[in-house]
Amino acid sequence: MRSSRLAPWILGGYCLYLLLPLYWLLSMALRRNEDIVGRFEIVPAAPTLANFAEIFSNPVWYQGFANSLTYVALNTLISMAVAIPAAYAFSRYRFLGDRQLFFWLLTNRMAPPAVFLLPFFQLYSSIGLFDTPLAVALAHCLFTVPLAVWILEGFMSSVPRTVDEMARLDGHRFGFFFFRIFLPIIRGGLGVTVFFCFMFSWVELLLARTLTGSETKPIAVVMTRTVSASGLDWGVLAAAGVLTVIPGALVVWFVRRSLVRGFALGRV
Amino acid sequence: MLQLEGLVLGTGAKPFDLQCPPASLTVVLGRNLSGKSALCRVIAGLDSPAAGRVLVDGLDQAEVPLRQRPVAMVYQAFVNYPHWTVAQNIASPLRARGTDQQTMRRHVEAIAESVGLQPFLGRLPEQLSGGQQQRLAIARALAKDARVLVMDEPFVNLDYKLRETLREELVELVRARNICVVYTTSDPAEALALGDQLVLVAAQGPLQAGDPMHLYRAPASIAAADLLSEPGINRLEDAGVVYAVRPEHVDLEAPDAENRALTMTVQDTQTNGSQTYVYGVVQGQEWVARLEGLRQLQAGEHRTLYVRDADLLALPG
Repeated sequence: MRSSRLAPWILGGYCLYLLLPLYWLLSMALRRNEDIVGRFEIVPAAPTLANFAEIFSNPVWYQGFANSLTYVALNTLISMAVAIPAAYAFSRYRFLGDRQLFFWLLTNRMAPPAVFLLPFFQLYSSIGLFDTPLAVALAHCLFTVPLAVWILEGFMSSVPRTVDEMARLDGHRFGFFFFRIFLPIIRGGLGVTVFFCFMFSWVELLLARTLTGSETKPIAVVMTRTVSASGLDWGVLAAAGVLTVIPGALVVWFVRRSLVRGFALGRV
Repeated sequence: MLQLEGLVLGTGAKPFDLQCPPASLTVVLGRNLSGKSALCRVIAGLDSPAAGRVLVDGLDQAEVPLRQRPVAMVYQAFVNYPHWTVAQNIASPLRARGTDQQTMRRHVEAIAESVGLQPFLGRLPEQLSGGQQQRLAIARALAKDARVLVMDEPFVNLDYKLRETLREELVELVRARNICVVYTTSDPAEALALGDQLVLVAAQGPLQAGDPMHLYRAPASIAAADLLSEPGINRLEDAGVVYAVRPEHVDLEAPDAENRALTMTVQDTQTNGSQTYVYGVVQGQEWVARLEGLRQLQAGEHRTLYVRDADLLALPG
């Protein structure tokens, strides 16, 4: 009985521990620099949206967001376009070396991104890809494609092969079957996969920073370079942080149901 | 009309030669792993035979692309498109053919009515009971308007009562639509009740084919007799000849003097109330006797059984 009285407190404490940094970020984003440095306040005494206004009016800031979103979207698009057919092949066909290839895809995930920094930098520089959104998107594909294939294969294999046969017996063309029957059946899995590609690309910093110059600087890089002559711009930095969290939170919200299924399949 | 000509499923197996006229039900009876599903898949065109031909209305199906074959199939597992409603599921083969909306709706409603799914047209398959899901699979197969309908143990996952109802409905549907149905089962009672034609199969190919009653009365081999008997057939060796004895032909009492007396060491009895199955050993062979009514026999007990000589089936192999 004692444990049940204790449980809400433990849970509450844990939630506080998780949410406090986020709250603090938001509260800083709503205060002016003098207030942040000068006083300790739990609730902002004089809340202001000036920090957000600065981000949306200063091209360095909003370009950063635009750059990040561009390569993240590109990466997600390429990953899905490559991984969907690949996962279908792994799920439905037996071919020479299929298991080894599938395992090899996974081993790609064991290398830290830093390993690939130098080769990517040199290669992209020599073919003029350096400092383009495509450079970052392609580099991230090295990690997101294996992940996407792995997750999608699980969802696809949970659809019985008899559905494929049934569709053929019903007289459907492969294209109709694949896009109108098969993919809608695993739409939850597609959502989960998009989520993971998106998140990897959105939070990855090392490759994104190395492969971009002044033209396509991602938001995370802009954030680390806001130290000016007048010191650190705390408020604007916090506001940028808040805005960075939002896309991730949105994606989680849209795929939350499928995410649970993905976990149940043990592939996520 | 479906014809199988010298159809061989696996290397070393015996060939199938079979004719299934329209509006008829051909039941394929075999145990698990006897190749029933393999036969279904070959007739449907999903797999290729090792040798031989499948002909529908005289046309060799090897030359017809799978999507255009006049064959529909119902699986043992309830296979439907989970993201489509009942109406969309039934419409699937019509849609593949490019039927216009109005005709499609009319057909879907007519078919749904014939299988009793009309109240559920807007539901998803997962919102249906097991019996309804299989009805939906049958409805979709019917919507294809195929000449041949292959059903691979379609009702085995359903409860006993429902199975009987669906079986009766199926016979009506077949007669009304003039299609030729190949239906596999592992239940002899079902095979005898349902089939216009019965094919007994084992792993090495077909054992015997023909009129169900004829097959029951005159099985060609012990394996054939065993397939048609539930529970299995008993074997009695006498002067170098192996006879088959049906469980229902074994008795505890001897009504007349001509009966042959055998001693059984009882191992187990099972009853369903109206009948009692007695399992035991006779002359070193596993035997089972089916007795009417509720009987009490002790395990380890020695009982005298009686078999009429007229009921001994002298069969090869």
